[in-house]
Amino acid sequence: MENFASLLHGFGVALTTYHVMLMMIGVLLGILVGVLPGLGAPNGVSLLLPLTFTMDPVAAIILLTSMYWGALFGGSTTSILFNIPGEPSSVATTFDGYPMARQGQATQALTLAFLSAGFGALVGVILITVLSTWVAKFALRFSSPEYFAVYFLAFASFIGLGTASPFKTIVSMGLGFAFAAVGMDTVSGGLRLTYGFNELLSGISFLIAVIGLFGIGELMLTMEEGLRFDGIRARVKIRDVFRTIATLPRYWVTLLRSAAIGCWMGITPGGPTAASFMSYGLAKRLSRRKEGFGRGEPEGVVAPETADHAAGSSAILPMLALGVPGSATAAVMMGGLMIWGLNPGPMLFVERPDFVWGLIASMYLGNIVAVLMVLATIPLFASILRIPFAIIGPVIVVVCFIGAYTVAGRPFDLWLALAFGVVGYLFKKLNYPIAPLVLAMVLGDKAEDAFRQSMIMSRGSLSIFWSNGLVTTLLLIGLALAFGPLLSSALGRLMKPKASSAVA
Amino acid sequence: MISRYTAEIGSATLTAGLGLAAVVGALEFGIGWGDAGPEPGAFPFYIGLLVVAASIGTLIQATVGRHGLQSVFLHKEEAKRVASFFLPMLAFVVVGRLLGLYVATALYLAFVMSVQGKYRLVISIASGIAAAVIFYFVLEVAFQVPLLKGPLEAALGLY
Amino acid sequence: MLKKTSWLLATTIAVTFGGVAQADWKPAKPVEFIVTSSPGGGTDNFARVVQSIIAKHKLMEQPIVVTNKGGGSGAEGFIYTKVAAGDSHKLTFGTNNAYLLPYVAKLAYKPDELTPVAAMALDEFLLWVKADAPYKDAKSYIEAVKAKPDTFKMGGSQSKDTDQTLTSLIQDATSAKFIYVPFQGGGAAGVQLAGGHIDSNTNNPNENAGQWKAGAITPLCVFSPTRLQGGVKVTATMGWSDIPTCKEAGIPIDQFQMPRTVWLPGGVPADAVAFYADLLKKVSETPEWKEYIERTSQTDRFLAGQDLKTFIASDDAKNRKVFEQEGWIAR
Repeated sequence: MENFASLLHGFGVALTTYHVMLMMIGVLLGILVGVLPGLGAPNGVSLLLPLTFTMDPVAAIILLTSMYWGALFGGSTTSILFNIPGEPSSVATTFDGYPMARQGQATQALTLAFLSAGFGALVGVILITVLSTWVAKFALRFSSPEYFAVYFLAFASFIGLGTASPFKTIVSMGLGFAFAAVGMDTVSGGLRLTYGFNELLSGISFLIAVIGLFGIGELMLTMEEGLRFDGIRARVKIRDVFRTIATLPRYWVTLLRSAAIGCWMGITPGGPTAASFMSYGLAKRLSRRKEGFGRGEPEGVVAPETADHAAGSSAILPMLALGVPGSATAAVMMGGLMIWGLNPGPMLFVERPDFVWGLIASMYLGNIVAVLMVLATIPLFASILRIPFAIIGPVIVVVCFIGAYTVAGRPFDLWLALAFGVVGYLFKKLNYPIAPLVLAMVLGDKAEDAFRQSMIMSRGSLSIFWSNGLVTTLLLIGLALAFGPLLSSALGRLMKPKASSAVA
Repeated sequence: MISRYTAEIGSATLTAGLGLAAVVGALEFGIGWGDAGPEPGAFPFYIGLLVVAASIGTLIQATVGRHGLQSVFLHKEEAKRVASFFLPMLAFVVVGRLLGLYVATALYLAFVMSVQGKYRLVISIASGIAAAVIFYFVLEVAFQVPLLKGPLEAALGLY
Repeated sequence: MLKKTSWLLATTIAVTFGGVAQADWKPAKPVEFIVTSSPGGGTDNFARVVQSIIAKHKLMEQPIVVTNKGGGSGAEGFIYTKVAAGDSHKLTFGTNNAYLLPYVAKLAYKPDELTPVAAMALDEFLLWVKADAPYKDAKSYIEAVKAKPDTFKMGGSQSKDTDQTLTSLIQDATSAKFIYVPFQGGGAAGVQLAGGHIDSNTNNPNENAGQWKAGAITPLCVFSPTRLQGGVKVTATMGWSDIPTCKEAGIPIDQFQMPRTVWLPGGVPADAVAFYADLLKKVSETPEWKEYIERTSQTDRFLAGQDLKTFIASDDAKNRKVFEQEGWIAR
């Protein structure tokens, strides 16, 4: 109850014309950086940071968080329209969003994505409002073994989904792990797999891989098929937006499950990317329309988007309460807090309630503002698809490479993006699944670090992974998810032979 | 014309090569299990081995199922289309490295629009330059993100 | 081209005439601040505070562009600086990692390929334990560790970096034995301590202040020759100045601090170095800088010129000794 009183006070702080205006500016800027691949939310927020030095902390954080929401929405837009994830966390949105757009349902896909994203974000904020104290305590129980178990769980829920050859799945995932291992190794403090090249010193950026594999690779495939984008000349009807809004309640199970996954991953640093993959994986497994996934199933858009935004907004909590950022963007904002003279930590809630609750209230408002604004941009974005391919194709190429360069300002990344583009093209043509590679690149080195930290703690004994209830439970769920399908299909085969031989 | 079989063999060899590179690279850092858990090279080493093994698996699969893979991977016509897209893109990267990304953007867009899109040359060139200028304002002026620049920007005094 | 020639000329003149540090050099285009950590890190905060102060007080006419090059623990940024030799519009922000990194990893730059400009602050290190741990002071904690060697976990940021160096120094000075667990950053090490997953850490004041205020962890001593400044109480009973120095508390380590340093590429005119040293000096005299120092409980110490060189040489020698002894030197 006390929290609600504080929240009301927070609304009082956040609801001024000046703040609402900041929200709108932030959201607009965010959409812009989100649409440009490579220039995602973390970059956008750190670029805006200097402007906030002279602002009041509440106004400053409202501007930055609004930009974050905008960037998350913008990232989904390009995933759906062009198969280019503007943000790492919107990779999973491409799986069904892009097929939907190609079938002329761009408006529906965008509407669903934005609405479910808005829903996810609201659940995240409600969680923060109601359970902030409890959640902060829960997050404290996580150490390296638990992190490893969480990463394992994220993997397990996604792996074994595809219909691709198991060899090809392993190759794809293995390459992802290998790419993730390049560069500085936290645990030993040494460089790995750089072969003496300075260019590899900072590792292979996951964003570059995504830009190449998805954006450029997809364009090459489109060109080869001779398919001009005009195949998807969708007429934009405002009515479609409202009609899609009406279908949303149909996905309530997916919405709730995905929001729960998202909140959990945002609080325990699995992050929005892991959340969206995991949510997509589970949605596919539990859906009655499994075959539809990957071919334009609306549920495949709803699931990752909800989880992504739920994770994005709930990641603010560990940042405020513990000083551990749950996502890359949260890390930048935390830097901002310190510059504005605020020390993140459990006492921030007590010392600066106006700031904390102003921020939380602004998260409600900011998300509503953001959803309304992006919904209004749908006709604009959907009509981009009607521009002739001879213009939009090359523009996408340019945007991809400029995006690749802006990730870190490294000329070498241009070559890397090109190489990943060729790999993406080949892999798609030869039915290598790309998602395992992406997931392995995101979580690979984190999982490895967590594993090795656990081993240092336990002096090389694996028993640390069943040393407490939390880690054991997480691992067991992970194992069940990883081997469940295998076992059930094996069991099925054991049961079946008689029946099938009878038929034969 | 490339057959599917050739493409399978080619890409599996490539992935096996990458896996091998990881194995060789990892050997330098120790691949054992020390008293503080696995050594730095252990993880990349076994991952590399796994990639090599799975690549060999794909190779065997492709060789065994060779008859099923006689379909055409890339027609001449398709190859032409891919090349007509890929080569300008390659040129874009090369020019971008040499002359900066803004110049490369203008040249690339103008070229593709006029040659492949059959737009009038004036329109193509104007669009190319316009796009470069827009990018300049969005990135350098609005967001202060420096992009790779070349001699032209230096001559114009833009940093 | 013309510009380059005139710079070269200026350099030659400056060198021939002994380059009396007259700051008549001025940046002619936007200055790039290269941050050798990822956004949100300690070095990132340092650079952005300097940027905000320069902007607020209009200390420089040209605008500033900040780029993060934190790959390879910051090596990416230093190599970028090395390659930019002769470019006086690139200012690189780091710590003592600028000259220590090349010892522990094979890297394509040498410290003498960078030009030191200034050190602006010294970040302090403290020994922290969980608040409900039964150790009232550093001495009793060390005794407990000694009684059960290789069971107490010391957390820190990264590997073969300042935290692990300090842990190694503590082990040498007291013959206690810890298990050192490297985390991604000081913040993570702080939360791991608050959650009771490790037994102690050697975080900077800033990284642990929040948890201390909340009563989850408590400092035992500070590795500084004198006590910290700041009389305001952080908790009900203690403020920063109430923390004993480690020497007082029975750990014979005089001093362990991390300088926040600023560098230029090699081969830049002496005038440019003087200009930036002067600029940063002005920054360090503003109230905003004092406030940053106080908030992060660092020690305010501005070093440039010969003082800086002397400081670097002695810090380098001290750390190198530890590296050699631990066998961390990469070949």
